[in-house]
Amino acid sequence: MSRVRPTGAWDGTRLAHEGFVFGTDHELVHRVVPFVLEGFSRGEPVLVVAGERVRSLLAAHLGADLGRLDVFAAAETWWRGGHGTLEAYDTDLRALRASAASWRLAAEPVWLAEDQGREWSRFEAVANRCYDDMPYYSLCLHDRRRLPEPVLDAVARTHPLTWGAGAPVEQAGYEDPVAFLRSAQPAWGPRPADAAVHLVTSPWEARRTICAAVPDDRRARVGDVVLAGHEVVQNALAVAAFAELATWTDGDTFVVEVADSGPGLADETLGYVPPGPGDGPHGMWLAWRLADDAALVTGPSGTTVRLFFGP
Amino acid sequence: MSAPRHLGSPTGLRPGDHACWTYADPAELAAAVLPYLDEGRRRGEQLLLVGESRAVLVEALAGLPDRDRLLESGQLEVRTTAEGYATDTAFSPAEQVEHYRELTRAAVDRGRTGLRVAADVSPLARQDLHHLYAYEQAADVLMGEVPMTALCLYDASLGVDVLGPVVVLHPDQHHGRRPPLAHLSGRGRSLALRGEVDLTEAAHVARALLDVAGSRPGVLDLDLTDLTFLDVAGARALARTVAELAGRGVVVRLVGAQRSPARCLALFGLNAEPA
Repeated sequence: MSRVRPTGAWDGTRLAHEGFVFGTDHELVHRVVPFVLEGFSRGEPVLVVAGERVRSLLAAHLGADLGRLDVFAAAETWWRGGHGTLEAYDTDLRALRASAASWRLAAEPVWLAEDQGREWSRFEAVANRCYDDMPYYSLCLHDRRRLPEPVLDAVARTHPLTWGAGAPVEQAGYEDPVAFLRSAQPAWGPRPADAAVHLVTSPWEARRTICAAVPDDRRARVGDVVLAGHEVVQNALAVAAFAELATWTDGDTFVVEVADSGPGLADETLGYVPPGPGDGPHGMWLAWRLADDAALVTGPSGTTVRLFFGP
Repeated sequence: MSAPRHLGSPTGLRPGDHACWTYADPAELAAAVLPYLDEGRRRGEQLLLVGESRAVLVEALAGLPDRDRLLESGQLEVRTTAEGYATDTAFSPAEQVEHYRELTRAAVDRGRTGLRVAADVSPLARQDLHHLYAYEQAADVLMGEVPMTALCLYDASLGVDVLGPVVVLHPDQHHGRRPPLAHLSGRGRSLALRGEVDLTEAAHVARALLDVAGSRPGVLDLDLTDLTFLDVAGARALARTVAELAGRGVVVRLVGAQRSPARCLALFGLNAEPA
């Protein structure tokens, strides 16, 4: 049997992103323990954030070496919605980058087991782009016994690497992040005939219109709805003379749609990319964060964004 | 008062009101000045009209009831901007404000109910912007203290870069078809930013804030309690302004932001303290 190479040919200069799926404790231990020990031997910071079962297995197998982990934390308390979770993660990544040449992380996103945590797959997809130049190995752990089939399918589609015989290998099912996002966002149906439609040429007009359209049963969120809608309108008016603003209610979901005839978005993933402390774009991130869900269609003849607000 | 007020007509104004009115031509200027001064006449106020050219002003006053009697009795006075604001020498906001304080006191001493000024300040805007913004803010504070009413007239052709910060410094606004959005108020204990600050207002608010606060080293509270809307662009501009002011020794403390504005501020590492 050939020697195990826990990070394969990874040279520590950019992101390596592996989706590891395990069905037994044995598989888990034999993947993660060598990964951790190799990190120690290379002098890299090693971080583990995982569910209780994985933590107890690692504690038993690492013994005294457990204390050499830079972080050994419970994943159960990490979830604060996709945007909130990634924002905290992003802050940690930036701190690590300022202090280490490279590092490695074994992380178990246990929230994928719950409906509200499914959106995390979209962030996993976009991470391949927005963290590409971050010098770390992210070993994402997924327990086949706890996760439903659609989630495991998304793991394959959002992680460029998977575990082969003794080394990471390319994941054949990996998809471009944009393609994944397009398929993972809410299904795109035609705009209902009874939608209220307005042409707006200024952000303040759009704010007044959105504010008036928010249904009575969710006035408590009107500030979030107006701000999210405003940021999307703002983006539309940056590339087009006017925007078409439509609002409607679909079941108990209030929908705000903004359509422009601009040249299309240069980067349609920005709703999932944490803006960081610098001067880059923040509007889509904020809008996507404030909404309960979001979807978009973009191309050379224009962009249409839908923001969904639940009850 | 949570937002700046839109002034549809130059009337219904009372002592303490401080309005900005942009005009496109002399006819628009006259159309604003006449009802404004006539209202003051009926209220028994001392009237002062200041403008670029005496000829234009006299022309504008042609339709004012009782014009000649008002001029003869001294209840109405007409000055050119050069006379009224000493624009030919160094303009001093503090001296100008004191001058108006004196004029108001003198008017009250003469039995008037207050001082009502209509002033075309466009010449000042063409030559001394920095002092203009500081002046408008100091004048606003004055009008919170004495029975003075002002209609500040500006030539719309000065353009949005010049007029944006001017408009922001007035609680009453008449500026094209756009509704009033933001108001930077200096009345009360601290500066207060009210209304809505979005991309279209961000640069104006930033400029006004820099000029108003930049020369007051120390800790400055900026009250955001009545800021009903702030977007990413507005928060970014505030963050830059706060940083620039810090470089000038002015420590800005943001106080009392509502939930939505606080969210945008947090994107740029700014936290507002409770009011």
